[in-house]
Amino acid sequence: MPETVDIHALAGAYALDAVDDLERAAFDRHLRDCTSCAEEVAELRETAAWLTHTVAEAPPPRLREAVLAGIASTPQDRNRRGTAGQGRSGRDRLRRWGLSAVAAAVLAAGAGVGTWVVADQRLDDVRTQNARVDAVLAASDARLISQDMGGGHVTLVVSPSRNAAVALLDGLTPPGDDKSYQLWMIKSGAAESVGVTNSGSGRFYVSSLGKAFGITAEPRGGSKTPTLPALVGPQINL
Amino acid sequence: MSDMRPEYEELSTQRLVAVPDPQRRVDADELLGRVARGDERAFAELYDVVSARVYGLIRRVLRDPAQSEEVAQEVMVEIWRTAARFDGTRGSATAWIFTIAHRRAVDRVRSEQAGADRVRRVAASSAETPYDDVVETATARIEQQQVRRCLDGLTDLQREAITLAYYGGNSYREVADLLGTALPTVKTRMRDGLIRMRDCLGVGF
Repeated sequence: MPETVDIHALAGAYALDAVDDLERAAFDRHLRDCTSCAEEVAELRETAAWLTHTVAEAPPPRLREAVLAGIASTPQDRNRRGTAGQGRSGRDRLRRWGLSAVAAAVLAAGAGVGTWVVADQRLDDVRTQNARVDAVLAASDARLISQDMGGGHVTLVVSPSRNAAVALLDGLTPPGDDKSYQLWMIKSGAAESVGVTNSGSGRFYVSSLGKAFGITAEPRGGSKTPTLPALVGPQINL
Repeated sequence: MSDMRPEYEELSTQRLVAVPDPQRRVDADELLGRVARGDERAFAELYDVVSARVYGLIRRVLRDPAQSEEVAQEVMVEIWRTAARFDGTRGSATAWIFTIAHRRAVDRVRSEQAGADRVRRVAASSAETPYDDVVETATARIEQQQVRRCLDGLTDLQREAITLAYYGGNSYREVADLLGTALPTVKTRMRDGLIRMRDCLGVGF
């Protein structure tokens, strides 16, 4: 069964950086609207910071010299204040949130989090996708659903009010040279293709919700109708 | 090197076990505030206060000394660059700094390691520093004892979930795999374990 997650339960994992990028972004946005959650996370981060005491280790003296030389030639950002630890540059955000509505415009360069790259996509498309993804993650009714699949995990952030979702494939066994993974939204009995990827990792913006979501293995490039049985599943009910 | 300031008042009080070092909090916060205004001398002082914990934390997660040094350098320069973003109403300067350090170490380990070599990361999750250069000042020793005592007060599952995540750089999914425990349980143990640690340490800000 898919696991529906109460986002509050992630506070500890979030404070320990034990969440993936997508969950972190969803939680960051949740914190903006939930004062008590923000306070709890701040306290848990203070607590985690104490864990550094037992591993303190004097760095080589050359590090001090290198750092001081480094800052002498580094201009400071004059940005407004943000949430503690949100020190990402705009370019990093683009790289992290480079998305595609369909197909494998976004592929993982490796299986790990933080290695997303944008392939063959214009910057404006990326920006548009970023805004759409942000809107889903920021939605007050956003819900996180995750399920193990094919050696990895599939995570969905679903927002009924925006009629959209973001799907994350993380660390699935690659489909093989002659196969692709294909994502489907099931609408009134018919399956609509949401995206195709040849990698076991990737991100997809789903522009309209149906009753259920599923993933299948298909011949390379995808199919018009899903080949059953579905890998997720049979499906994640929305 | 990291923390040369004597704190005799704290050493002499019985309450120190539950009181988290308010003096240093003020110092690091004040220093970071000056850093945000471009004060390079304040930055050098701040470096001396936090560098052993920044480097030690990164080294614990990454293990490789050369890589740890490189990431620690990036982190310290990032702290300089983004100091104006620190907001003292939302937490302490040290928590802000170690949050950045931990995040960068985890980013590095996840992008390069891609979930492989889990045995190594289990080994890396112990709460003790096996290296020779452990920082040994009186204050550091007391804080280390406090952390160990509070970790000992957790259930085994709480402690393992927290240390595998924080010192091992594992995601909660990886922790669940490593411990053979259900995902919701691991998330819950991370949260309630940290809350128990928080209460044990008397953390507030």
